[in-house]
Amino acid sequence: MNADNDHKVIIAEGVTKEYSDDGVPVMALRGIDLTIEQGEFAAIVGPSGSGKTTFLNVVSGLDSITDGSVRLDGKLLSSMSGRELSDYRRDKIGFIFQAYNLIPVLTVEENVEYIMLLQGIDKKERHRRVRDLLSQLGLDGMADRLPSRLSGGQQQRVAVARAIVSRPALVLADEPTANLDSKTALDLIDMMRRLNEDSGVTFVFSTHDSMIMARARRLIVLKDGRIDRDEAQA
Amino acid sequence: MVTFKIALRNSFRQKRRTTLTVLTMLGGFALASISIAWSDGSYAYVIDMFTRNQMGHIQLHRAGYLDRPSLYKTVDDYKTLGAAIETVERVQHWAPRLYSSGLASVGEKSSGVRIIGVDPERETATTRFDKKVTAGRSLSLSASHEALLGTGLAKTLKAKVGDEVVIVSQGADGSIANDLYRIVGLISSGDAIGDRTALYLHLTDAQELLVLENRVHEIAVVVDGLDDLDEVAAAIQTTIQQPETEVATWQEFARSFYVAMRADQQGSWISLFVILLVVAVGVLNTVLMTVLERRREYGVLRAVGTGPGQVFRMVVMEIMIMAVVSIVVGSAVAYVVNYQLSIEGVALPTSFTYGGVTFDRLYTIINARSFYIPAVCIILTAVAASLLPAQMAARVAPARAMRTH
Repeated sequence: MNADNDHKVIIAEGVTKEYSDDGVPVMALRGIDLTIEQGEFAAIVGPSGSGKTTFLNVVSGLDSITDGSVRLDGKLLSSMSGRELSDYRRDKIGFIFQAYNLIPVLTVEENVEYIMLLQGIDKKERHRRVRDLLSQLGLDGMADRLPSRLSGGQQQRVAVARAIVSRPALVLADEPTANLDSKTALDLIDMMRRLNEDSGVTFVFSTHDSMIMARARRLIVLKDGRIDRDEAQA
Repeated sequence: MVTFKIALRNSFRQKRRTTLTVLTMLGGFALASISIAWSDGSYAYVIDMFTRNQMGHIQLHRAGYLDRPSLYKTVDDYKTLGAAIETVERVQHWAPRLYSSGLASVGEKSSGVRIIGVDPERETATTRFDKKVTAGRSLSLSASHEALLGTGLAKTLKAKVGDEVVIVSQGADGSIANDLYRIVGLISSGDAIGDRTALYLHLTDAQELLVLENRVHEIAVVVDGLDDLDEVAAAIQTTIQQPETEVATWQEFARSFYVAMRADQQGSWISLFVILLVVAVGVLNTVLMTVLERRREYGVLRAVGTGPGQVFRMVVMEIMIMAVVSIVVGSAVAYVVNYQLSIEGVALPTSFTYGGVTFDRLYTIINARSFYIPAVCIILTAVAASLLPAQMAARVAPARAMRTH
């Protein structure tokens, strides 16, 4: 990897993904070339079926690619074993899902510290980070609650906390506001943007909500598995 | 630790399913425990009755007597030998015996008999001899030319208590041995076939008849319990310092009985296998349903960096937690049942005779085996039944699993 790549979190070159849907071959991504720089706040947009989720899945190693290559923080994903990919996701990527996907049997505090536990970070440091983040995200007093006792917006904030608490190189969010009302959705995006500005965490999220798109600093428009437009926003 | 925490909490999520699974394993454990305790208790009881009532736990003979009995293969100076045996730890009682065959006549009836010379006092202490007398009385403590007839033999000879019996045999010196004895009682040893020929004399009378003074063919020994008889036998062998005298445990001198008991006992493993099969099916059903239902969660766990091994352990641990709860509660249940059955036993609908001893009630025994064997089996069964589902959970493709609803 040369020096130019030092600030590039994602380098996708000719990424193609084909899968079978009930025996019918579907071309989800058709030769995507994309680079995401460190500290970006980028939105991947497009209609349903345009390949947004598939793209996020392949750049995070959750799904394999049919052709091309993906480098994440300089590492070629296709060269990694399942175990290495698992460790890599744990250490380098934070995930925010549309359906929150918190671990239902763990409390808010335990959900947020889960990845740090996997990483072996000591208890004192874990608790300090969890406490700070919960306070920062307006979740004070909810540390001992189970996810089932939180609203959708609160659950998604916990998911954000879980995604960034281990200080990953990249946070990938797949339609993070899809299940939230407009106000809560905008609040969440503003909060993510603040975290991006304050801590420099790279955010890449997919959305088809125009209000959310307006908050992104870079807009990558997918159409039929190809990049239709890629433009910076103010 | 977090893996255990999630497994622990997961095991309480579906309370009804968890309860049913725990009950399946608990029932399996308790049944297996009771089955083993019942089997061990029954066999220990049968063996104890058989050995204590007839043969003794250990026997001493002249070398080669067991393979080929002979009037001349005797144990000499048996009183000195008996005194030495008494010094061995765990030995409770010993009784000398003399055997020969002959012809007995009562009035005009005659029959072949097995002459058994016994010391009434020692025989009673060793094999409850006096309890077997069904009519008349036992032999006097000193030699008085008295005889006890097996009930079957008395029937053949049409003899009754008070009659006189003439015995003709061969003395060890080659002479014709014959003498007259008064029948003082009838005896039922529990061995109906043996009782058709058994004729008991006082040991001294038998020694005189057969010209075998101070000699016997057998010394029966009983000890306190059936465990580690080999060690006691070895200790006796060392103590008596007579290489020409063989010391054998009941497993050796009653080999066919021992082999039959072992074969019967092996059969109880089949019932254990069936119990475990039922448990395995129940556990497999639970874990499979759980894994299929939580497919999405496993996908999320894998996505955020949980290793496949950790997911695998999580699934196995969840079942292990249920298994441990089942074993703990099952142990309490099994203990109460086993304890009760060890005291009261269970009356058999029809009594049966085994090795000449009649049994009408059987008991359980409380031993470590009846707890650790089911515990190990339940743990192994639970682990085995959860391996495939755990593997499925560990191998979920995160992206696809998270699309599951």
